[in-house]
Amino acid sequence: MIELSHLQVLSGEWLSGGGAEADVVVSSRARLARNVAGFPFLTRASEEKRAAVEELVRASIKDSSLRTRVNYHDLAAMEHVERQFLVERHLISRDHAFAQGPRGVAFAPDERISIMVNEEDHLRIQSLRAGLELREAFELANEIDDALEERIDYAYSSQFGYLTACPTNLGTGMRVSVMLHLPALVITREIEKVFQAVNKINLAVRGLYGEGTQASGDFYQISNQVTLGKTEVEIVDNLVSVIPQIVKYERKVRQTLLQAKRVVLEDKIWRALGVLRFARTITSEETLELLSLVRLGVHLTVIEGISTSTINELLVLSQPAHLQKVESAKLSSHERDVVRARYIRERLSKDMGPVG
Amino acid sequence: MLCQNCSKRAATVHLTEVVSNMKKEIHLCEECAQAKGVAIKTHIQGLEIPEFFGQLAQSHGQTASGANAEAQVRCDSCGLTFEAFRNSGKFGCPDCVASFKKGLVGLVERIHGGTQHRGKVPNRATERIAKQKELMELREELKRAVAEEAYERAAQLRDTVHKLESKLGYHTDGADE
Repeated sequence: MIELSHLQVLSGEWLSGGGAEADVVVSSRARLARNVAGFPFLTRASEEKRAAVEELVRASIKDSSLRTRVNYHDLAAMEHVERQFLVERHLISRDHAFAQGPRGVAFAPDERISIMVNEEDHLRIQSLRAGLELREAFELANEIDDALEERIDYAYSSQFGYLTACPTNLGTGMRVSVMLHLPALVITREIEKVFQAVNKINLAVRGLYGEGTQASGDFYQISNQVTLGKTEVEIVDNLVSVIPQIVKYERKVRQTLLQAKRVVLEDKIWRALGVLRFARTITSEETLELLSLVRLGVHLTVIEGISTSTINELLVLSQPAHLQKVESAKLSSHERDVVRARYIRERLSKDMGPVG
Repeated sequence: MLCQNCSKRAATVHLTEVVSNMKKEIHLCEECAQAKGVAIKTHIQGLEIPEFFGQLAQSHGQTASGANAEAQVRCDSCGLTFEAFRNSGKFGCPDCVASFKKGLVGLVERIHGGTQHRGKVPNRATERIAKQKELMELREELKRAVAEEAYERAAQLRDTVHKLESKLGYHTDGADE
């Protein structure tokens, strides 16, 4: 079994609560889809071919001159709960976690880089950063790509660029996204306007865990849809250019809410904190909803004494696989709710001092 | 996990519903989900894209027989047909784009608004493309030399061309000509 326990305490860099515009922008992500020339894509690859790709890519990662040290993990040999754990950390996708066959992931200890092997494409190079740091995220992913390219012959065509399993990724093979916390726009239903505006300029809105997931707890991912016909820099710039407008809009509505309905809003925020500090059982959905309100309270300085990084830590560590790793036991859903409530109470007391 | 409706078949459809501000998870089997006429998020995710591609390709404005012939185009490398690609929305191998190029260009344009990659070029590809260009130029020069009956120069050029071809992997099966 792979030792992942160190990850329970060490939080990834993207959870630090730092980076630009951190009150609204949680994290920035860039990912590059790449495939090995001469091998079929996974949907038409035999078990042997998949294993050959995995072996080749794994060896290339080990031999490459990466500036950052990464550790490789064999997902096929990993237990269900540990794969779920990596999903909760955004180090692998859900599809990658619960697929079959030879596949793996290499990631850096600070979790800024992860390289998924045999996901939908042979390689998915991902870089994750705290706050609005999209250019930095892209540059890091690009650097990894350069280093791996010295070892791997990529499938490429001069017309269609990097060849990918899905035509929606052709060209640059690049998807960049930012995760935004937009509680005020959700409360006032102004969020619909943002969605419409964003769709018009060819950007997509997704939920907390990427493709095919629903937005929850007021967290939304905005990403590019077009990958071919534009340069990487153009794609990054296009996304970077609209984010400040959304950030400004969210901040404005937060202030409007605070002025127009201060007591109502403060009441919502304090009640959320109250439940988190005293509850004896709590689901992950409720946790997400309440943490979203507390996060808002922290950035409006309604609540003091809790850092953004504590909230981010709670968001990740209160999820099912993390709780089971902390407890070193398989827990039923009810047991998880009890452990989750206790963990949240203890963590908040550490920052804010004990209650009653 | 068993279907929460019939408790007989395995639940393959998993829903998250929001009822009066409370999130509720529902697990159903295919049959029960269909009977209930549930609009299934996860399922739509699986079906939506291929159907979308299918419609795009069909709305390409071809005659039925032309479209049919194109649907039967097969990728030499992996055996995938254009029709199968259209239905699944996924290529079978890196050679599919070349095999399906005719039908693909319109589709790519609809998805991306462009059909020519303008982004990063892998270094290896850059080298290879440059070598291929050099090779083409050398072959032209060789033709000219032969036409001008400059045989000594032609012999030199022939050797250079041969070396470059080997470098590009054109003589891998040992057959020298």
